[in-house]
Formats: sequence, C-alpha cells, structure tokens
Amino acid sequence: MKYVYDESKKRLSVYLDEELDIHECRTIRNIIDSYIIKYEPEEFIMDFSNVKFMDSSGIGLLIGRYNLIKLLDSKMTVINVDSSIKRVIELSSVSKYITVRSE
Amino acid sequence: MKKSLSIEVNSNICNISVVRVAVSTFISDIPGITLEDITDVKTSISEAVSNCIEHAYLDENGIIKVECTVEEDSVMLKIIDSGIGIEDIELAITPAYTSKPEEEHAGLGFTIMENFMDSVEVESDVGKGTRISMFKKIVNKKIV
Repeated sequence: MKYVYDESKKRLSVYLDEELDIHECRTIRNIIDSYIIKYEPEEFIMDFSNVKFMDSSGIGLLIGRYNLIKLLDSKMTVINVDSSIKRVIELSSVSKYITVRSE
Repeated sequence: MKKSLSIEVNSNICNISVVRVAVSTFISDIPGITLEDITDVKTSISEAVSNCIEHAYLDENGIIKVECTVEEDSVMLKIIDSGIGIEDIELAITPAYTSKPEEEHAGLGFTIMENFMDSVEVESDVGKGTRISMFKKIVNKKIV
C-alpha cells in the first residue's frame, strides 16, 4: 500500500494492494488511520486500481475509515473499482455515504 | 467426469488466501466457466473460511476442512469446522447482523454467499461445529 498527501488540496490518497480479505484489512486499517490522524485531510481517497479481490471485510474497512472521516467532517471517495468489487459494494449500503467511482 | 478436492488447513488467517487460490484453480477448467463465476466462488469461500476463523474458532487454533466437488456443470463446496457452532442460524445470516461490531465487520458474509452462489445451506451444532454447503451451477454460454 502506498499513500500520497497533497498539502495544497488537503487531500490524502491511499493506493490499496491486490487482495482485500480479513488478513490484509486487519493489517492496513491501523496504518490508514494513522495517516488520517496525522494529516486530517479534507478529502480522503481510496484508490482500488490494483485491487483484484475483495470480500466483505473490505466493506468493513470502508465503513471503519468513513466513521473516522466523518468525525473530521471530511469527504471520502472510493475510485477505480472494478466490476467484481462493485458487486460486493452494491450488496452493502456504503455507497449511500461514500462516493464510489468506477471510471 | 466428477472430480473432487479436499483440503484441511488450520485456522490461521494466512490460509484464507491459500484456500481461495486452490479452489479457484481447481474449478477454472469447467467448460464455459467465466471469470465472474470464479470470482463468485472465490468470494463465497473467502467469507465461509473467514467465518470459521473468527466466529467458530474465535481466532484460536482449529481445523477447517474444505471440500470442492465439480460435476459436469456444477460446483459443490463444503466448509466444515469443529468450532463453537451457531446458536441462532437465522440471526447469523441476517444481512448486516454481526456478532462482533467492534471488529469492523459488515455482517455481510452470508449475504454475499447467498447472492453469489445458487444455494447455501447451514447446519450447526452448538459446541460441535458448523457445516456450510454451497452450490453453483455453471451455465456454458458457448453454443457448440
């Protein structure tokens, strides 16, 4: 996982790795939260370009980060979601709260 | 021709991806199977094995048995554990219900299995374990 913080836009982007299962999610959630707490971004982007697999633990990961972003009164966007991951996201209600873009 | 795969892993979270890869490789030569079918099976097995680790064995050591049978145009999966069992199956399979909200669970494991497979059956004995049976028919879209 990589991250970029754009100071001028107050935008934090994290680029997730290939497989988001419970193993990966347990590892990365604290790391992501430490970036959010450090930068307090106004916009938080999770980039799924490299994610090839996600199960329901990925939904838990999104909800958990959203709860933190909400405390900062900031905006969260999930981008570059492929069709298989979109099907998992659609079974949950997260897209009511988080902007999800496939592009 | 019928073929089958049987794997036993211990309840280490590293083994979830091992089972996913093994099962998706095993089913990949079914005539007419699509990438979407494989992802459906892969996601469902991931959910079932994750449940064994987190809920049946509560992150302690235990054995998870996975059986996959391919017969002509169908995939049958059985995921068997000897963990604590499920007291209220109906509640457990309710969408968005989770017994561990503090763990950031979406409570969508069974919802995903039920949506991505054609049938899901849950049998459980409290204190003895749980057996999940899932079935998916593979429709060969190629016209011969």
